[in-house]
This record gives sequence, structure tokens and C-alpha cells, in this order.
Amino acid sequence: MTRRLNGALALAVLVLAAVVVSAAFAASSATPGVTSKTITIGGTFPLTGPAALYGVIPKAEAAYFAYVNASGGVNHRQIVFKYYDDGYNPANTVPLTKKLVEQDHVFAVYGSLGTAPTLATRDYLNKAGVPQVLVATGDSYWGAQYKKYPWTIGFQPDYPGESRIYGQFIHNKVPQAKIGVLMQDDAYGQNYYNGLVAGLGADKSKIVDVEKYDATATDVTQQVVKLKAAGANVFALFALPTQTITALVVATKIGWQPTTFINNVSSSPLFMGLAQKSGANVQGDISATYVNDVWNNPNTATAKLYKSIIAKYDSGADPLDANVLYGVASAWTAVQALKAAGANPTRQSFMTALTNMNEVNPFLYPGIKMVTTPTERFPIDQQILEQYKGTAWQPFGHIFSKAR
Amino acid sequence: MKLTKPSLFGVAVAVVVAVAIALLPLTMSDYHDSTGADVAVFFIAILALNIVTGYTGQISIGHGAFMAVGGYTTAILTHNHGWNDLATLPLAALVGFAFGVLVGLPALRFHGVYLALTTFAVALAVPQVAKNYPKFTGGTEGLALPTHSGVWLYRTTWIVAGIVFVLAWLLLRGRTGRAFRSVRDSEIAASSSGVTLSLYKTLAFGVSAAFAGVAGSLYVLVNNFVNPDVFGLTLSLYILIGAVVGGLGSLWGVLVGAAFVQLLPIGLTTTHISSSQSVPVIFGAVVIAVMALLPLGAANLLGTFLHFGSQMGQSSDVPLGTEGR
Amino acid sequence: MATASLTQRGTAFRPTTSWIVPALIAVGCVFLVIGSLRSSLFAQQTISGLANGGIYASLAVALVLIYRATEVINFAQGALATFTTYVAWQLIDWGLTYWLAFVCTLGIAFVGGFLVQLVAIRPVERRGNQLTVVIASIGLLILVEGLVGWIWGNEIKFMPAPFPSHIYRVGGVSFSRQDIATIAISIASVVLLRLLFQFTKLGLAMRASAVRPDAARLVGIRVSWMLSLGWGLAAVLGAVAGMMAAASPSVLLQPSMMDGILIYAFAAAVLGGLESAAGAVIGALAIGVTLNLLGAYVSWVTPQLLLPAAFVLMLVVLLVKPSGLFGRTRVRRV
Repeated sequence: MTRRLNGALALAVLVLAAVVVSAAFAASSATPGVTSKTITIGGTFPLTGPAALYGVIPKAEAAYFAYVNASGGVNHRQIVFKYYDDGYNPANTVPLTKKLVEQDHVFAVYGSLGTAPTLATRDYLNKAGVPQVLVATGDSYWGAQYKKYPWTIGFQPDYPGESRIYGQFIHNKVPQAKIGVLMQDDAYGQNYYNGLVAGLGADKSKIVDVEKYDATATDVTQQVVKLKAAGANVFALFALPTQTITALVVATKIGWQPTTFINNVSSSPLFMGLAQKSGANVQGDISATYVNDVWNNPNTATAKLYKSIIAKYDSGADPLDANVLYGVASAWTAVQALKAAGANPTRQSFMTALTNMNEVNPFLYPGIKMVTTPTERFPIDQQILEQYKGTAWQPFGHIFSKAR
Repeated sequence: MKLTKPSLFGVAVAVVVAVAIALLPLTMSDYHDSTGADVAVFFIAILALNIVTGYTGQISIGHGAFMAVGGYTTAILTHNHGWNDLATLPLAALVGFAFGVLVGLPALRFHGVYLALTTFAVALAVPQVAKNYPKFTGGTEGLALPTHSGVWLYRTTWIVAGIVFVLAWLLLRGRTGRAFRSVRDSEIAASSSGVTLSLYKTLAFGVSAAFAGVAGSLYVLVNNFVNPDVFGLTLSLYILIGAVVGGLGSLWGVLVGAAFVQLLPIGLTTTHISSSQSVPVIFGAVVIAVMALLPLGAANLLGTFLHFGSQMGQSSDVPLGTEGR
Repeated sequence: MATASLTQRGTAFRPTTSWIVPALIAVGCVFLVIGSLRSSLFAQQTISGLANGGIYASLAVALVLIYRATEVINFAQGALATFTTYVAWQLIDWGLTYWLAFVCTLGIAFVGGFLVQLVAIRPVERRGNQLTVVIASIGLLILVEGLVGWIWGNEIKFMPAPFPSHIYRVGGVSFSRQDIATIAISIASVVLLRLLFQFTKLGLAMRASAVRPDAARLVGIRVSWMLSLGWGLAAVLGAVAGMMAAASPSVLLQPSMMDGILIYAFAAAVLGGLESAAGAVIGALAIGVTLNLLGAYVSWVTPQLLLPAAFVLMLVVLLVKPSGLFGRTRVRRV
């Protein structure tokens, strides 16, 4: 009997201890995330799982922040960047975001990646008045729904705007087009498709076949075969990187050589190189870009700075990976806005800075300007077309404005 | 777990734990409250799995699918039809029950490995079906639901967990529980003693799926969001891990198991031991270690430690073999 | 101690009705041939489906081997295959030729699989039951996939192909030398396994260790070594599967590369009968072809429903033949 009593007492003590300990950690802070020496921001990214190839982005962002810190920081504050792995699962994103806000007391939630994860946390963050900024997804929601969600803002050009450019190009420059579309069978793919149709205008009827694939599918051979059989001579390839590379290789394998349009997310020089090595003929393929062309202009100040930052703070990164450059460009934007938020930044001043931008981001393509107003909340909405020649992308033509 | 006659000691401990659970939020931050709510969700889900795997010996690697069914019921009714989110819980349980019976009926033909892989198939198929009807389910972009404070979530989920536990206890203490356990221990003996196998096995699936459906609804409420990725294969695997780590057929086990699969990964993720890439490695290693050191689950350890007697930590002898097909 | 009740005294095997299944397969083949002759699009979809099926088959055979040798469903098989493929990539990156790296990887895989069984599975098996071993294999899956990302990073890497991209074009249908090689290797491994289990003492010892470990010990078989051997061999087959998969255009070298394939491999192994390697290969080819044809010709089978379709196929087969196409029905005596 005494033994049992002892056991029960032990249990009770353990439980009480847990209660006390957790009380000790219920910290509070006056200005969330800002101290005299530091400013803390955080985000959620897929570091494991099928979307893990985007895990290079937070590392690149961290590298840029480290560089800024080494040069004195932002308004004499060191940037503390915390990022957690949500595996692209909103059921992880939500608790991790809550942790960032309530335990890590971040000043802002920065750069979170993925449409669904961002949608999952949007209500919570806006209710709590926490900035949800420069989110890494090309959906139009962030710029379009700012009235309801004023604390949220995106970064990259949105997908429909991008594919509208392709549609316009085909309309103007490819007279006998017979278009075959491969798209992901969900909102992501639908975004691109809608933009393409909008850009084609009257030429919409030139779409001869639309094939879809599920994001979990590894093989898209069946769809590519059907597109070829439908007689398409233009291939609108709106897919994720994995399926894009597969589609390019399979197209060559079955002897199909259409004029191919690849979406920006999947056209990183890294992926093109992989496709080429695997046997795809990607000469002449067309995509759009908005980042600085460090690959063709390696001796510019920007390219040298970029390389030095990566070499020093993110040495494992592949220089061909455009996502790394994306991360640096995004981080630059965050730092600019933090600077503009003033010597004593508040969350409101940070959002004001982000919604009143007129900046030239050195890591973006020369000629592109980041402009936002309180009612025009797409930081980047310009892109330039590029064509793959040899082993690199060659931008051509003019910069398309209001690519939306 | 012998739930037939509650020892005074058992009740006392249960009361202590319940009180502790009720008091915790007073000192915790909102974030910890949400985490505690997640633990409650897994508590219900693991309890549900216990009914079908611990009690009737039918392996299920598919409980994420039952959670999905309940979760989407709640999401669709709340988001598309403006129901009050709590009011959807009973309906989610009902829909879960129906789906559980639907799965349980063909499952009668399978045993062991084949049953496990059938439930595995269901776990994979349900999110895909959800993706297929984006007009109702929101597809991959999902449905966003009203947010709630951490305290509200904590209280609601644990109250529901308490209700589910009591319901399970009432169900399992009587004839049904005995019938379930006889099915697990020897189908042939059970059948020859007059236990209608098909009825009880299907019933087990139905009840289990009903509880899992409720867990799914709460999961959706805690995250104020639903999309197919929320109910992926990982969820089913984690529920199974939690059930076995906790100890099949044990109450304390369910609590330990839920805490294990919910708190350990997120604890590791946010502690940055060397790098975030190490989290799955550490978690996987811990799971293997627990299986090697505590094959009958934490409940067995607790049982011997606290001298609950021979009843605690019942040998969870779940036949995975190929006999009896 | 209550033992894992995977086989009880008095288990016997009932002979199966042996002509139905081959007849069905023959009918299916005839259907495919006729369709291919009438439409080159059909032919292309069929051939591509076979190529996919070949990839699933190579992993399915590994699953069958481990099941036959250790009576364990190994959820980590795909992750182990991924790991060994990365090892091959690393060796090539360090300068070895493809084939030299291939052979070395097979050796490393064997040792690795053996050690994994020794270190991770044996301690679990000693005191646990079947379910705890399954959980351990799930833990292993999580661990190994995380380990790959930790060591090599998550970016997509390029894996050279064994056969330079040689495409054959026959009557409007394209297929590559790699496609043929993958299927051929799967068939070869089936033959080798059959030889091992039917005609060698070692194979007999392995089977005995899996099915009747106590009796096997009584006749002097080192059961635990047999189980480790089983894992080693399965790891070798998995390594082959991983490298064949990485060589195909549909699979890129990244930590999650075998996730989708593992699922179809499970469906194929179960469909074919978990104890029949030949069944697994036939099942895998059937799944590959069926899914391609469904996706191409049946419009209401949307891309999302392809994965469930594979399992519907598996379930339909199981409902008619609960032990799979070529599995043996066990009868339990009271």
C-alpha cells in the first residue's frame, strides 16, 4: 500500500513540476522580436519531404542575413532568422507558426513557402497583427486580397501573370500554333492555364489538348505521349521541377520537338542542366525570369557579391540553382524594408515600408523595379522572356510590365 | 487493459491526471495550449486505433483516412454551409462510423499483413479522392476555418477526449469488450463460443472510425485548415507508432503515445540539435530504440513501476502472420 | 513469452486452382497485343506502362524477398534503396566508373542490410512481436530518409545512366535500352531467387528460419544469421531497384525518390502474392500498364484517382484470391 501511495505521489509531483516549469517559460515581451541589439524574424519551409528541393531558399536567405549582420546589421541590430521544417504539411505549419509568434516572439513571419501552408496561417497571423511577408508562392491571393488580410504580402510575380506573357508571345509570334498543355491537376496548374488563356486571347482555340497530372505522380510519360499524338507543336509545360524534367526528357525520347514554354519555378538552370544530362533536347525552350542574370554576366558587381556571400555563408549551395538567388533577392527586400521601418521599427512601420516601396533590387534583372503602394501590393510584377541556348538561358526582348 | 472493475487506486490516479490536465492551461502560453490540444487529438485517434488493433487484433495503418473523413465533414459543413464547428462533431462521428463499416466489411476477408496493407491503401486513397472534388473540399488549396484561441482549443479537445474515453470504457467493459478481445486472441475459439465474428469485427472498425472521425474534426479545428496533405500517410503511421509506443490496450499508454508522437517531433524541430535535417534521424532512431527496449510499450513499463499488478500492460499479441487467411 | 503468432501448429497449404490465373494473364496479354497492333498510341502507352512497371517490379521483388526470408513487411525498403543509390552517386562523384560503382554499391548494400538487421531489427525481434518489428521498420524509414537528406542535401542530383541513352523506335513506338534493362533485371532476379530458394540448402535454411524458427534451430540452423542474410540480400535487390529507377527519366535523385514507387511496389507484391517474386513482377507490370491505359483512355479516371486505382486493382484481386495471384492459401487447423 505504501508503495502505491509512493507511486501516486511521485506521479503527482511530476505533474506539478511540469506545471511549474511550463509557467517559468511563459515569457512575455514588450515589443515582439525587437531588442536594442537584435531583431527576430522567422518562417516555415519544407526542409524534408517531396518539396524539400526548395529547402535551399531559407539557407540562402540566412546567408544574406549573415552577410548583413557582418556588415553591422540593420539599424545596428543583428538579424536573428529562425526557420522550421513544416514538410509542406499545413498541420505542421500552423503549430510551428504559432511557436514562432508566441514562443520565439518573432517580429514578423517572413518568406514562408507554399500556398496551402500560407493560407493555413493567414487568418491567425492577420488576427494577431503579425506581418506575414514576402511569402514564397506565386499565387495572386496575397496581392489581391489585401483588404481582408492587410498583414500579408507576397514577393514573386504571380503565376497567371507569367503565363499570360507566354500566351501573348504565342499569339504574336507563333502563327501556326497548336498548343498542348501539361498542367498539375489543381489550383497551381489552373493558375497557369488561366493566364495562358488570357494571354492567347482569340487564339485560345489553338489549344489542341490539355493533359493533367497529380502532384504525387512521378511519371508523366502517358500525358506527353498523348500531347504528341494530338499534333501539338507548342508545349506549355506548367509543372513542378520533378515532372518538368521528366516531361522534357520523355518528349525528346519519343521524338517530339515542339516549341516549349517552361514555367519559371521549374526552369532554374540547375533543372535545365539535369534535363540535358538526362537526354532532353532543351535548345530553344522559352521561359520567363526576373532575377539577375549572374550566369551570363559573372563579372558584374552583383554577381561577384552574390558569389562571395554564398561562398562564405552557404557553401553547400549549387551556384546553378536559381532558387538560391531567389532567396538572396528576397532577403535583400526584407532588409530594405527593415531599414525603412525606422530606428525603432514596429510591425506597422514594417508593413508601411513594404507597401510603399520603390526600389531597385540588385539581385533582380536590371530594369525591373520593385514598386508597391498601399493598394498595389505586388512587389515584383515585371518579367523578361528568356530562351535556352547552349547551356544557359539568354534573356531576350523587353521587360513585360504589370505581368499580372 | 482490464477495464471491467476499476480499482480505487486506478480511479484516484485517473482523477489526479484529469485535474492536472485541466489545470495546465492556467500557466501555459497560448502556443502550449494549442500543442496540448494537438496531444488531445492524438489521444483520441490512438484510443480509436486501440479499439480495432489492440482489442480485436485487426491491424490498421489507415486511421488517417478515418480522421480525414471526419475532418472533411466538419470542414465542408463549417466552411461551405456555415455550420457551427462544434455542432459538426456528432455528424463527423456518424460519417466516420459509416465509413468504418464500409472498410470493415471487405476487411473481413483479410488478416494480418494483407489487412494492414489494405488499410494502408485506404490511407493513401482518401486524400487522393479529396483532391478529386475541389469544389467541395477545396482541393490542394484547402479550406480555411475560423480560428480559436489556444485555451478554447485545449479545453474543447480535452473535454471531447474525456467523453470519448468514457464512451470507450463503457463499450469495452462489457460484453462487447470481451467479444473484441476474444476475437483477437483466437478467432476460432471465439467463433465456436458464439461470437459472430463479422459483426464484432465490423463493429470494431465502425466504432474506431467514429472516434477517429471525431479526432479528425478536432484536428481540423486546431489547425483551422484542411487540405489533403494534412491527412497524408505520415499521419496514419504516427498514430500507429503512438499506439504501439504507448502500449496497445492500455489507457496510460494512449496518453504517453500521444505525447510521444506529438511533442517529440516538434520538440526536436524547434530545438535545432545540430541541424533541422537531423530531426527525422533522431525521431526514427528513438522509435526503433523504444521498440527494442519497450516492445510492449510505455504502459508496460509504467505498470511494473507502479505495481498495478498483472493486469496492466497486457501482452499486445497482435497476430500479423499469414495464418487464418 | 507469448510468441508472435504468425504460424500456428497445424498450418497446411491448400493447392490452388492453378489454371485460372495464367489464363487471365494470357487474356490480358492478347488484349494488349491486339490493341497495340491497331493503334501505335495504344502500343506506346502499353510499352511506357511496362517500363514503369519494371521499376515497380524491381522494388517489389526486394519486398517479397524480405517477406519470404523474415516474414516482415519492411516499410523501409524504399528508403534503403534510396540510400544505396546515393552511395552509388557518391562513388561516381569520387571518380569511379558507373559499373564499378554499381558493383561496389551492391557489396555495400549487402553489408549495410545485414548490419541494419543486426543493429536495429534483431533487438526488436528478440522481445517484441510482428507489430513491433513493423513499427521499427517505420522508424527505420523515417531515419534513413532523413539521413539521406542530412548527408547529401535535398537538391535534385544527376545520376548517370548505365546505358547511354539509346532509343529504339519501332513502328511509332519509342522505348529505351534502359527500359528493357530494368525489366530484364527484374526477371533475372526472380529467376535467381527461385534458384536460391528452391535449389540451394541456403535458401532452404532461410525459408525455414522465417517460417519455423524454433524447428530450424533444432536442426542446427543459425536462424539469426539467416535473417540478417535475408536483409542483406533484400538490400542488394533494393540497391538494384534504386539504381534502375534513378536511371529512368521519371525518377530523379532526391531523398523522396522511392516514396511513390514503394507504394506501387507494395500493391504489386500483395497483388502477386507476398511470397511469390514472379507474382510481384507480373503484378507490377500489370499495374504499370493498367494505370497508363486508364489514364490515357478512361477520362473519369482523373490523375488523382490513379493511385487509388492501383489499390482497387489490388483489392479486387484479393477479394477473389485473398492470398494474391500466386500466393498460397494457408489453411489453419484448429
